[in-house]
Amino acid sequence: MRRLSLAAGVSLAVFTLAAPLFLERGTLNDVWSLAFAVILASAWNILGGFAGQVSLGYSAFLGIGAYTTVLLSLKGMDPFLSLPIGAVLAAIFSVAIGLPAFRLRGPYFTIATIGVGEAVRVCASSVSFTGGSSGLRMPAGSFDFTRNYEAMAVLAILTVVVAALVKRSAFGQALAAIKQDIDAAEALGVNSTRFKLGAHALSAAIVALAGSLYAINFQYIAPGSVFDFRLSLSIVLMPIVGGVGTIAGPVLGALVFSTLQIKLLSIPALRDSYLFIYGTLLIVVMLFEPKGILGLLRRVFNRRLRRFYADA
Amino acid sequence: MPEPILRVKALKKRFGGLLALSDVSFSVAEGEIYGVIGPNGAGKTTLFSCLVGSLPPTSGSIRFRGREIAGLPNHAVVKRGLVRTHQIVRPFRDMTVEANVSIGAHFGAGKRRGADARGRVAAILERTGLGARAGSLAMALPIGDLKRLEIARALATEPAVLCLDEVMGGLNPSEIVAAMSLIRAIRDSGLTVLMIEHHVHAVAGVTDRMLVLNFGEMIAEGVPRDVLQHPEVVTAYLGDDAGAA
Amino acid sequence: MQDIAGVLVNSVISAALYATMAYGLAVIYGVMRIINLAHAGLMMLGAYATFSLFTRFGLDPFLSLLVVGPLFFLFGVVLYRLVVRRLPRSGATPSMESLLLLFGVWLVLQNFAYFIWTGDTQSILTAYTMKSVAVLGVRVGVPSLFVFAGSVLSLVFLNVVLKTTYLGKAIRAVTQNRDAALLAGVDADSISAVAFGLGTAFAGVAGGMLSTLYAFTPDFGRSFLLKAFCIIVLGGMESVTGVAAGALVLAFLENGLSAWTTLPTSFQDAVSFTLLFVTLVAFPQGLPGLFARLRTAFR
Repeated sequence: MRRLSLAAGVSLAVFTLAAPLFLERGTLNDVWSLAFAVILASAWNILGGFAGQVSLGYSAFLGIGAYTTVLLSLKGMDPFLSLPIGAVLAAIFSVAIGLPAFRLRGPYFTIATIGVGEAVRVCASSVSFTGGSSGLRMPAGSFDFTRNYEAMAVLAILTVVVAALVKRSAFGQALAAIKQDIDAAEALGVNSTRFKLGAHALSAAIVALAGSLYAINFQYIAPGSVFDFRLSLSIVLMPIVGGVGTIAGPVLGALVFSTLQIKLLSIPALRDSYLFIYGTLLIVVMLFEPKGILGLLRRVFNRRLRRFYADA
Repeated sequence: MPEPILRVKALKKRFGGLLALSDVSFSVAEGEIYGVIGPNGAGKTTLFSCLVGSLPPTSGSIRFRGREIAGLPNHAVVKRGLVRTHQIVRPFRDMTVEANVSIGAHFGAGKRRGADARGRVAAILERTGLGARAGSLAMALPIGDLKRLEIARALATEPAVLCLDEVMGGLNPSEIVAAMSLIRAIRDSGLTVLMIEHHVHAVAGVTDRMLVLNFGEMIAEGVPRDVLQHPEVVTAYLGDDAGAA
Repeated sequence: MQDIAGVLVNSVISAALYATMAYGLAVIYGVMRIINLAHAGLMMLGAYATFSLFTRFGLDPFLSLLVVGPLFFLFGVVLYRLVVRRLPRSGATPSMESLLLLFGVWLVLQNFAYFIWTGDTQSILTAYTMKSVAVLGVRVGVPSLFVFAGSVLSLVFLNVVLKTTYLGKAIRAVTQNRDAALLAGVDADSISAVAFGLGTAFAGVAGGMLSTLYAFTPDFGRSFLLKAFCIIVLGGMESVTGVAAGALVLAFLENGLSAWTTLPTSFQDAVSFTLLFVTLVAFPQGLPGLFARLRTAFR
């Protein structure tokens, strides 16, 4: 199973990188969305999956990246140079939010993050330098889709690699211990607050990078787009539906959601049913397979394998 | 007399209107096995929680290796070499036995990484009799092994003082004998052991000195023989069962 | 500028509504250790139910609460039996699965509302919507007074149910000492069903009353969910007086800030959120964490 998913991952990575050579722009756009989704899902999973701290406020980090890039570009900076600045700002913000919020445990933390998301959205639409609710446009200039595409593809691959490295490291082990029993982890010397803040900052920075690229690609942002409820919703749902706390799960979830978005929701009759589809998916996963699609695949695969050996 | 490794003075813990610990004072010398006994609700576990910092004490002083540790968070106390086990075992169920123990090796006082940590973990698993179980998930272990895992994880943090919270509860007589020899072996390897035990005779057989708590107050302290004959201990703790037990 | 009497009167009026909102969340938490994220969706649905009864049958929104309450109670029981009960039993702390499951229910309810009532902003206009009377020298809208009366009546009703009926007593017993009550033979399943029904009924009634004060869309309810959560974090999840006190604190802060400062109204919703954070900073584990520690300390 592990070797299988590694092979699938590598081929997906090669395909994504090479796609501009043989795909037309329209399809390439879909792959761009997939890469974007993979980044969001895998980055969220570092805190939400590995450490079990489910946050519903990640659109804030996406917005910080997007707004930083647009505002600095309007000041004349090269958009791509603004990427690390947005990432650092998001990481700082994540620590500022995390210091009080991580005093809360489990669901209490989750509800506090709904508040963070709300507060950031309210602020972005009421403050003047963000252009209020009407948003901001990137300065007119040469927009190079291929450059943006390659950046998004590389970031997606890097995010998955970083997530895999984190999971295998001592840092990842500490996060796993925090997820399973935070008091027992503390009793063995794990400084849970520091590790949670670290995971939060890392994933926030990655999401902010994706937000910057999002702004460069669409050339226009507004609270209604970067803080779109649908977006913050899918950031959470993709890893959960795919398989929370794993490496392949969020990628799988991103694939499923991008396909849903492209195929299903382009049918006018279904466009207004996304909440129903997302909600039902969540209910079904929680009731029947909390380990997501990956958990389901593993179960089926293991059963097949067992039957194979039994027959042999 | 050399400075004791752990000196607790006038330790107090209040929950709302309830005094869970009142003026508890005692010292533990390096290399001692020190017992804490008392009936249910006497404040034994609260005492351990205050020592390691998982509960902040209301007032009082805890000096460990000559430095004040009262009020420090749990993880900081562990890194200084004072660790506790839990009476109700708390393994990381989805992790292997080896991964469980390596958390202690990585983040305890030793802060070991890589091959160094792996070697240390393997040695501790051997010593606690879990070597054969290294690769199994913690959730698959029987209770006796879970108790040993609890001790193994604590040992992996490389403590100077190990606080054991009722490690013998629920064990059968032959397991108790094994646990007692493990505790002696741990002491003989250079550690100081504090142990809470409900099972009075098990403690009396292994400890050098002991402390009796009742309703959060110290009612006796000293060598087991004297403590167990202390009239207040006989009535308050052993009660009517004294003759039967 | 408004004087202190105005702020006090308005605070007491909003506090009653807030308490009704928060009790719905607290009763479910108390019995099942579940944070009902669908609470927001249920309040939204309560608003639309009241709206439909008003536009279709001309039923006064406050009279319709007598229909909405029992209807939502049944809906809550059904929701519990069909969905919530299938969750693996959670222990002393709420599980992430239950939170996400009920988040899913919230999304489905939202979509249901879009489907039936579209995404247009709706509001209820009665003959008395714009009328106001003087209370202690303060002009108060008539709907606000009705909302106050409705909230007080619902809270009194809840108190009577909890104090006199067998199920009510069982709910209180489970809330105060879960393990002891279950050991004493209280049927956890039917108590949970009743608690979920009560919580849902309170969400529906609170939503119905909100619909007479605010315009609403299917997205309605999120900020009120945050307020309700803030109140139970402030006041403690289990104590009846705590919820009332938390509601008063929040209402007083909101009304005071809008009367004595020039903060834009869009920031008013941020008050509960800020309060939540201040509480969290002041109490290292948050109040629930504090209570949880007190409970576990003697295990």
